[in-house]
Amino acid sequence: MGLPAYVKRQRQAPILSPANGVRVVEMVVGGLLVISLFELALHYDIRDPNLWVRYGISFVRGFWGTLGYIALVLPVSVALGFGAGWARVSRHRLLSWPSAAYIDFFRGIPLIVAILFAFLYGVDFIPERIRFFLEDALGISASSLPYAMAALALAAHSGAYQAEIFRAGFQSIPRGQVEAAEALGLRHFQSMTSVILPQTFRLSLPPLGNELAVLIKDTSVLGAFGASELVGLASEFTQQIPISGGQLVWQFAIWTAIALTYFVMTFLVTRVLHLLERRFRTPGLEVVSL
Amino acid sequence: MIRTEGIHKFFGALHVLRGITLEVARGDVLVIIGPSGSGKSTFLRCINLLVRPDEGRVFIDGVQVNRPEISPEWVREQVGMVFQSFNLFTHLTALQNVTLAPIRVKKLSKDKAEAKARELLARVGLAEKAEAYPAQLSGGQQQRVAIARALAMDPKAMLFDEPTSALDPEYIREVLDVMTNLARDGMTMIVVTHEMGFASSVASRIVFMDAGLILEEGPPAEIFEHPRNERTRAFVSKILR
Amino acid sequence: MTRKLGYARERLVRSVETILAVLIIIGVVAFIYDVMAGSRGLDIGYISANWLRYVRAVEINLSVTTISFVLGMGIGFLVGWIRTVRAPPIQKILQDFRQAEKQGRARGKPALVATLIASGLRHYVKRVADAYVEAIRGTPLFVQIIFAYTVITVSYPRLPGVEFFAGVVALTINTGGYQGEIYRAGLQTVHTGQVEAARAIGLSRWGAMRFVVLPQALRLVIPPLTNEYIGLLKASALLYYISLLEITFLSKQENYLGHPFESFALITGIFLLITVTLSRLIQYFEVKYRIPGLGIQAAPG
Repeated sequence: MGLPAYVKRQRQAPILSPANGVRVVEMVVGGLLVISLFELALHYDIRDPNLWVRYGISFVRGFWGTLGYIALVLPVSVALGFGAGWARVSRHRLLSWPSAAYIDFFRGIPLIVAILFAFLYGVDFIPERIRFFLEDALGISASSLPYAMAALALAAHSGAYQAEIFRAGFQSIPRGQVEAAEALGLRHFQSMTSVILPQTFRLSLPPLGNELAVLIKDTSVLGAFGASELVGLASEFTQQIPISGGQLVWQFAIWTAIALTYFVMTFLVTRVLHLLERRFRTPGLEVVSL
Repeated sequence: MIRTEGIHKFFGALHVLRGITLEVARGDVLVIIGPSGSGKSTFLRCINLLVRPDEGRVFIDGVQVNRPEISPEWVREQVGMVFQSFNLFTHLTALQNVTLAPIRVKKLSKDKAEAKARELLARVGLAEKAEAYPAQLSGGQQQRVAIARALAMDPKAMLFDEPTSALDPEYIREVLDVMTNLARDGMTMIVVTHEMGFASSVASRIVFMDAGLILEEGPPAEIFEHPRNERTRAFVSKILR
Repeated sequence: MTRKLGYARERLVRSVETILAVLIIIGVVAFIYDVMAGSRGLDIGYISANWLRYVRAVEINLSVTTISFVLGMGIGFLVGWIRTVRAPPIQKILQDFRQAEKQGRARGKPALVATLIASGLRHYVKRVADAYVEAIRGTPLFVQIIFAYTVITVSYPRLPGVEFFAGVVALTINTGGYQGEIYRAGLQTVHTGQVEAARAIGLSRWGAMRFVVLPQALRLVIPPLTNEYIGLLKASALLYYISLLEITFLSKQENYLGHPFESFALITGIFLLITVTLSRLIQYFEVKYRIPGLGIQAAPG
């Protein structure tokens, strides 16, 4: 064809290709190098068995805790984000103003502030009867409620950002298609489900994936309050190191391990979402600009 | 079979339609011409109730349809519409675009809808493009799919809102051909267009609209060669360069 | 007649909706107030006596943020620039050389080796920059802060102002990574083709940068940078955890001293004031200095 060979290869780019293989190797080697550099500079060994004998359990518990929080927060935030995004573009001020207030509020204040006050006072917002129901009927202990409220604040925070993503998605669909759907006799609900929502979903997928990665990282803030996830349990452990006679440099190892864990999580999520995007890609449906 | 009496429409303070009374018999092809902003597109949308007239009445087959008791969806099943910007559903293939409404509105089975859709796509000359997405089609092809999509609902009449205005010149012909065949097959059509060649050869009647009013009506020969109204004359002479 | 009726009705519905919408928002605020302040009521006296302390506290946030942001700019620009430098793959270099040989412009084996080495170096420096950005973006800022603080306090236990210093270090490294992304995107959006065109009309490489690339890149880059600043300011609230005496720390303290709603209102009020003002400013500048058609992720069509 006259095109240089390397250009052809880029165009076809399947998932399992030599180029990608090289990249993975580079990443793993690079990662190992970076960690070794840190170890050298700060005189610690990330694989110190003395540390892991004692910390290992907390680490695993923390990992599951983080996953648990993500599983809890993600659906709530998507529901809030979708609802608020949809209300935000509504013609009715009754919907658009309150949702705008919600979105602007949670995007305007730091996440830590929202979580702080939700943790301290969130439980007071739950009516007594519901509180008793939760405690007695569902066996949720009173001490875990503040953490639930903190998680709710995290969901609200992420939801506000997702609302903006969904809003952009809704607004990216040309008005003409809605008109055409109407002209064909489709009812409002039908045009929503067959025309608007499928396209919103495809358009919103990339930025939503990004937001999921952000959410994974934001669960770390819950650790500031002693939540049973990676950061919280690690803090707990590091605080009692001096007492139980451990080495101070263990802290470096712990935080490096935790950072690595988050990195792997976000990396996997973004890669998997890339794959999903490829499968759902419709020619002509461009990524929405934010 | 389509009749309007005294249609008025206001957008805010703007009096866009100032009393449009018109009648289109079955099988007629009515072409509406006029300068932009004269309300032609708005009037078209009053017929299938995408826009609700503020005053006046719209009749389809003798039934007044701009009444609260009549469901607009029913009206739109009787009268199909083709848009200037095609408005194909970008996430669906050509075939799916055509079958969507018959399946969801007319409750046709998927097989019947697809068979019909393929037949219509063949009729507009796009049988082999059934699995293509709109972004993979040229403008002229997209518009022809749009026509097939509207025809799939078996409408009694078709409205065309400047169907070729957004097309590159080399694609205009193919769309006009489809429309001409449609007219020849006896479809009742109301077409807003600037394509005077089409108007003079296919229209049974031409209406000149300006500033929300019908200034002149008549057969093509009369309007193009002996326009009575002065503004009609000015417009026609500019267009027929 | 129909027109008048339809119109008035529309306006009435809109007014009712507006009132209801405002009532909902006020209602939510009132509910929060009720739960948090409850029987004590709103202590206006506290607010008027203490708002200045909160402002002083947020000044600390602002100074940490600004210092880190500016330092991060240097890092970020360097990183962004490195990542836009082109390092052609080995095959292309070999191909170019073969072509040159065919056309009689052979440059000899030493030149080939030198080019390959230079290209390899460029490639790996680029990889380092990539690694830096990926590491920062892939890990939570909170963890970065704790890590930086731990390293600094263990290595230099008696450093004065260690909280502020650690905060600046962590935020600088973090924003350096994110700004690197911003500059890379900005440079790349302009880069293709226009540099070649600029060279073709006689501009030097530096001239092309100065007159063609940078003016556009600057306009592209300012909105995301302002967003990054706002984000960094909000992130600085996390520094309370390492005992920096900024606004979150103060708010938490005052909250325990018996002023929950007032401290909540003050801290959220101050942050909202700053972030909303800055956002409006960006919007204003975006509109004023816009180049039609130029955007980092330009809308299709």
